[in-house]
Amino acid sequence: MRLLLLLMAAGALSAQSRDLAAGRAAFVSNCAFCHGTTGEGGRGPNLTTAQSVHGRDEASLRRVITRGVPGSQMPGFGNFEEPSLTDLVLYVKSLSSRSAGGQAIPGDRAHGAVLYQSNKCAMCHRIGSEGSVFGPDLSRVGAGRSAAYLRESLTKPAADIMPEYQGVIVTLRDGTRVSGIRINEDTFSVQLRDLTQKFRLFQKDEVQMVQDAPRSLMPPYNLPPKDLDDLVAYLASLQGGPAGNQTRQAEGIR
Amino acid sequence: MKPVFPALLLAASALAQNSPYPVDVPAARIVKALDEPQNWLTYFGDYKGVRHRALNQVNTANVKNLRVDWIFQIPTTGRFETVPLVVDGVMFFTAQNGHAFSVDARSGRQLWHYQYKPAEGTADGLNRGLAILNDRLYMGTVDGHLVCLDSTNGQLLWNTEVASAKAGYSITLAPLAVKDKIIVGVGGGEFGIRGFIDAYDAKSGQRAWRLYTIPEKGEPGGDTWQADSWKRGGAPTWMTGTYDPELDTVYWGVGNPGPDLYGQDRLGDNLYSCSVVAIDPGTGKMKWHYQFSPHDTHDWDANETPMLLDLPWKGQIRKLLVQANRNAFFYVLDRTNGEFLMAKSYARQSWLKEFDAKGRPVPLPNTEPSEQGTRLCPGLAGGANWMAPSYNPDLQLFYVPYREQCDIYFSTPPKFVEGKAYWGTATRGVSDEKEWGVVKALDPLTGEGKWEFKFYHAGWGGTMSTTGGLVFAGDADGYLVALDAKSGELLWKLQTGSEIATAPITYMVNGKQYVTIASGAALITLSLP
Ligand code: HEC
Ligand code: HEC
Repeated sequence: MRLLLLLMAAGALSAQSRDLAAGRAAFVSNCAFCHGTTGEGGRGPNLTTAQSVHGRDEASLRRVITRGVPGSQMPGFGNFEEPSLTDLVLYVKSLSSRSAGGQAIPGDRAHGAVLYQSNKCAMCHRIGSEGSVFGPDLSRVGAGRSAAYLRESLTKPAADIMPEYQGVIVTLRDGTRVSGIRINEDTFSVQLRDLTQKFRLFQKDEVQMVQDAPRSLMPPYNLPPKDLDDLVAYLASLQGGPAGNQTRQAEGIR
Repeated sequence: MKPVFPALLLAASALAQNSPYPVDVPAARIVKALDEPQNWLTYFGDYKGVRHRALNQVNTANVKNLRVDWIFQIPTTGRFETVPLVVDGVMFFTAQNGHAFSVDARSGRQLWHYQYKPAEGTADGLNRGLAILNDRLYMGTVDGHLVCLDSTNGQLLWNTEVASAKAGYSITLAPLAVKDKIIVGVGGGEFGIRGFIDAYDAKSGQRAWRLYTIPEKGEPGGDTWQADSWKRGGAPTWMTGTYDPELDTVYWGVGNPGPDLYGQDRLGDNLYSCSVVAIDPGTGKMKWHYQFSPHDTHDWDANETPMLLDLPWKGQIRKLLVQANRNAFFYVLDRTNGEFLMAKSYARQSWLKEFDAKGRPVPLPNTEPSEQGTRLCPGLAGGANWMAPSYNPDLQLFYVPYREQCDIYFSTPPKFVEGKAYWGTATRGVSDEKEWGVVKALDPLTGEGKWEFKFYHAGWGGTMSTTGGLVFAGDADGYLVALDAKSGELLWKLQTGSEIATAPITYMVNGKQYVTIASGAALITLSLP
């Protein structure tokens, strides 16, 4: 099998696409139920982003698919046989390669970095160990998102808000409104992180009202087209550094 | 079996308190389970599935003082969906991944531990509980076996294969002990199985009968399946049924047809999927059936509790079967013959136009899953699901926990491979609104809602009702709550630290009432100080 894979990688494009089709079929009948027909997620996580808990390399995918994730709804598919398993692994891998990594992005990265500073993005975002954890960590945003997605994040931030970055507005008994990123909400309480990166904790029976923020807590940016290209090119180049989540966890920030 | 009077039983169990072993639960005791409210003798607590207890030491006035008495930690991970049994001061329960335990119901101290060892593979997977008959316990396993344990020491007495795990079968439910038999159903509807209900001789483990929930070609109902689709049509039986000793009839909910979301290869009504079937427990013969969702393509199975109530229907006491079905409707049937009496939606629904005179649903147009996606309520998980409802006879209120959630249903033709997922694709949650959870009190004669309590997230927790005027319920974020049974007002809550995906029980030992719930890796027992 390994040999065959190497051969395919060496340029047998049609063979590879046929295998992807077989992988896709296996995916549709076995995985789509949870991960969606095109891997965009449902009961299970979105598999089309490069962000992954368990890894997107072949060995990790093979392990997750055959063993499942114990303690989660992700079942082990121990009875997949070759070559179906490899077809499936390659298909799942292909889903996440739609990220910005590797694509040629028009724009001046260096100027993008300047725009990132001048627009004070760091007031809400962190790259490496610099900036705020109010919004998503952008250290690896280029590895996880397509350029189109990044562009839309700037012009229409509300188009796709990850659930963990939903805004919430709490109206206190005296009428004061406190807004921030919802860390957690349940029947009786809500916890949020405000713009100053402070946690604010509320019991629902002690406040007037708790509402979802109607828009993204990120303002839309109406930049000249060239600046937009430059900023997207900069964001797409952010592919690593200290992994954001690790930084945050190390600092005790969720 | 001679009839036994509750007073005598109480006295006997009080005497037995200091030496609870061996416990003895003959079938006659299970028939009268509600007369010994200090015990919890079946998965539902009794044969009729009411999950109501005549215990009022914990009540609306003092429930605010309820606090944790003991916690038992299970040595395994996964979702803890067990419902314990309690017999005369001894508690028996399963945990997922093949574990069973017996503990002192007052202290949680372990008496024995059993771990199922499958011939091949692992025992990993969830389990919802045990059945007890005489001095033996019965447990289903993820690899499709039924095992019998000695309740005094947890030793394996017999182990029978019910169905092949390779072919996709599994058992997650708590078996049902009826007379001298142990009745089980199977899961695996997502894996192209052919569903059935089995009965085993409680002593020997020999199979007494099998009732397929999908008829063969040539049998009555066989023509409701296109070509050979019946061979892998699903119709699993993964939740415990109920039993009416007077009518000597077992009632069992049947799951949805497979592939779940693609119906073009199985045209027809697909009997007896999405039905409740009435069975003679002696022979396994079907007495009648009622199909809630003919030719279902939304995973709206009918495995929810088929609760048995005797109520005045239009002025005349009738033997009723009520079910809050996954398809968002609450049904009332005559359980002597399956006659459809009434149905009313308890949750948002966007699929039904009307019921015809015989109670067959007439769906609205464009409600089938499609390649580009069809938005519909309820979502794939329901509505109701395995979360147990309960019934307070004094208030004549039916308490149903359910999920308020709509989905987008997709469909593409799947390929069948034995033992593999066979779904016909997927659903996706709608993105423009959040789901939420509800406990609703219904008048079971009209289906009218009397009150409802909202949870922030849609969950999998069940309910339990007591004469203390309380309804206990659990939620997705780990709260166990006690609500006023009359008004739905929140009277008490406990954050258990993990999602609750099962229903609480209550029992009494030495004059003290306890409430138990499984959450995370903990079996938590509460009492008043
Ligand atoms: C019953 C639902 C379900 C099915 C079916 C299912 N998954 Fe999953 N899957 C999940 C869940 C839930 C997770 C998240 C596990 C966790 O908690 O880390 C997951 C995680 C994954 C991951 C890891 C994602 C990451 O971020 O690293 C991969 C890869 C994956 N699944 C692939 C598959 C494939 C391929 C199939 C079909 C063969 C499949 N899954 C079928 C529910 C499912
Ligand atoms: C007031 C705080 C704030 C400011 C200022 C801000 N953002 Fe955001 N940003 C957020 C929040 C909150 C989110 C997450 C919600 C969302 O996706 O709309 C977000 C999301 C994003 C995302 C999507 C991340 C992902 O993983 O999908 C990108 C990219 C992004 N911001 C870039 C920028 C850039 C570049 C700037 C400066 C030009 C900027 N943001 C300024 C708060 C802010």
